[in-house]
Amino acid sequence: MNLHPFIKAPRNTTQAIMLDVIVALIPITIASYLAYGTLALTLLGTAITAAVVTDLVFSGILFGNWKTSLDGSSVITAMLLTFTISPLTPWFVVAFGAATAIIFGKILWGGLGKNLFNPALVGREFMSCIFSSILGASSIWVTSNFIHIPAQDFFLVQDDEPVKTYLSTLLYNPSGALGEYSPFLIMLGGFYLILRKRISWHIPTMLLGVFAMSSIVVGDRVNLDYSFAGLLFGTIFMATDMPSSPNNASGKIYYGAMIGLVTFILVWSGVKFSYLSYSILILNGFSSIISQVFKPNPWGKKTNRLQKSEEIALLTTAILGVTIAVIYLHENHALIYLLVVYVFYVVLKYAFDFRHKLKYPI
Amino acid sequence: MMTISSLKKETKNQEIEGLPDPPYVMMSLLGYQSQLKPLVEPGIHVLQYQLIAQSENNWSIKLHAPISGIVDVVEYNGQNYIKITNDFKNERMVCVPPKLAALNNQDILRVIRDAGIVGSGGAGFPTHIKYDVADRPITHFIINGAECEPYLSADYSLMNQEENHLWKTVQVIQKLIKAKYVILAIEKQNRELKKKIEHQISQLNINIKVQLLGNDYPQGSELQLIKTVTGKIIPKGSIPAHHGVIVSNIGTIKAIANALYQGIPYTERIVTVSGEKAKTRGNFLLKIGTPIHHILEQIGQDWQPDDQQIILGGPMMGKAVTHSEESISKGTGGLLLLRHLKTEVFNCIQCGYCADVCPQKLMPMEFARHAVRGNSDGLNQFDLKSCIECGACAYVCPSDVPLMSSIITGKQLIKTKL
Ligand code: SF4
Ligand code: SF4
Repeated sequence: MNLHPFIKAPRNTTQAIMLDVIVALIPITIASYLAYGTLALTLLGTAITAAVVTDLVFSGILFGNWKTSLDGSSVITAMLLTFTISPLTPWFVVAFGAATAIIFGKILWGGLGKNLFNPALVGREFMSCIFSSILGASSIWVTSNFIHIPAQDFFLVQDDEPVKTYLSTLLYNPSGALGEYSPFLIMLGGFYLILRKRISWHIPTMLLGVFAMSSIVVGDRVNLDYSFAGLLFGTIFMATDMPSSPNNASGKIYYGAMIGLVTFILVWSGVKFSYLSYSILILNGFSSIISQVFKPNPWGKKTNRLQKSEEIALLTTAILGVTIAVIYLHENHALIYLLVVYVFYVVLKYAFDFRHKLKYPI
Repeated sequence: MMTISSLKKETKNQEIEGLPDPPYVMMSLLGYQSQLKPLVEPGIHVLQYQLIAQSENNWSIKLHAPISGIVDVVEYNGQNYIKITNDFKNERMVCVPPKLAALNNQDILRVIRDAGIVGSGGAGFPTHIKYDVADRPITHFIINGAECEPYLSADYSLMNQEENHLWKTVQVIQKLIKAKYVILAIEKQNRELKKKIEHQISQLNINIKVQLLGNDYPQGSELQLIKTVTGKIIPKGSIPAHHGVIVSNIGTIKAIANALYQGIPYTERIVTVSGEKAKTRGNFLLKIGTPIHHILEQIGQDWQPDDQQIILGGPMMGKAVTHSEESISKGTGGLLLLRHLKTEVFNCIQCGYCADVCPQKLMPMEFARHAVRGNSDGLNQFDLKSCIECGACAYVCPSDVPLMSSIITGKQLIKTKL
């Protein structure tokens, strides 16, 4: 039977959404090319090829339908993954990261949309756990010899003008991970996505706001070691990932704020490089519960405020508890065990549960 | 809520046109929660405006002949119709408009009932029952001129061209239900009407407030309209009159005006013919019961279901026509010829668009989750019963998740579990 509505929003397919995200990533891609030339493009190309091929093969085998792997989401996963690593990362490590991102981050959950965690971050954790000696070596961040176009002096800086130097680095500064060379272009991509309604303001604003507030509260007492550009990139492109973030406005506000808080706690405890991945992954795990707890109040119904507050308090406690556990595991170099547990979990879940629900769209 | 663009602008300023009468009419015997019983034997001749069917319950929903001719009772697609074959003689009953000044409230309700008046917005609730408020205090009488369905402009063309009877009728109803405030609600995109109408009513010395609403869909939906105008949030399933509010569609007012001032029953209405696939677009005054194929013929088009979707009503809440004998009813505001949709179902990507646009503040994706799993507790937990089936969620879903079918099967599921 043919049901209403008989019209559909124009240019609003899942592929169109994916395409918009790719478009928003183009300026950052250009910045990474300016910074490290073909080195950057080779890594991106390797990651994209690995992700798309893995997606085709595994959805072909497991779902018997490879068409869904052309929706563009694996390209995004590969790009996001590459933008969080050093330009000196060996190609096979990137390929491994991209493949595991697709298999363990997406396919085994039942395909795009059913994944609990952001696939790019899942791949990143696989990479850094398995290749910890390569990625953990400090030499991997010594990239100055490979720079294609060095930092520029956009405002004709004199020696004593730190503000102008700072502004220049906001425009372009080839240091850190591949996606972090231009906060300005990252923001540009973010505005494009907001304009196209592919992300909303809630998560980025709350995340950055809470993080900044916490830093101000702590003040100069501790030395916070983090990368602003990295934080911005993760905020705009990782934390807002649709499948792994809450699906309603108040849920997003809470979720963004909690990522900001957890990130701050991690930075404060001295977690390096991975603070944002950890915090986003932790909150990913709670995102569908957050969606339910913060669900809008149906028309004409009353909310039970007491019950809701209790739920929120419980949720917050759980999130902070997990954060402390992660810090503990991180300090004891024991996160690899968590990864092993995760692998077992998704494989078993797929075999006994998700596999039978492939035909359900949600 | 959201804005939807359509071809509305193209038809809204077109004058209301007539079409040649059809060779026969098909009068559906389906009334609001009731079946109507034919009062005429097959084979006899009826006059235009003659009463031909009536519901058996005490709602007395009535149906009148829109043309004169020979009666038959037929079944089509499992539905019963009275078919009247047109003799093109236009022999009609003598219509005497009632003497308004001499009528008391009960008399007016009787005139409305005997003219077969039901809501023109679609659901078809009998108007004389709605207006029978007895001693219940009514604060707001809202006239719904917000035609939020895309493409449709029938109500607009009516307000744009009508003369004074419409507003005089509003005044009669206000007195009948003793409403404190009378508000005509129209959309911002039609603000040019406001001045025009305000001028007309000030000449008539009638007190109606013309209020502009947003252009969002579904602004014209009863609960949303009441909220915007009065601030009251009425739960779905609750009767607005119990909250002091009565809403009537402008099309219904027109039908009442015809009964009060010309003495003719509800036998014709304005229908917008539009859509990308329609070669002729416009607002037409049609006899109730006009079969689709007759309209298509008159605008020079064929019945081609492979090439186009043919819709009775609006594109968001209307219904797809499956055979060309289906006809215009009292609640049909449009006949649309639209392109077929390409749908490609993906997994839900949790974008939340459906929840953003839901006027009832529900989480539609959860209906898709629980309906396929047959989980009626889940459906109740997310308050499926508050869904007004406006279609906004399915319109906006990028993954073509089967939201509407989940909602409809879900509601059946809840019913059977009770
Ligand atoms: S059809 Fe129901 S669930 Fe969907 S938007 Fe309308 S009210 Fe909400
Ligand atoms: S709009 Fe469709 S894809 Fe987006 S959350 Fe709703 S059901 Fe899922």
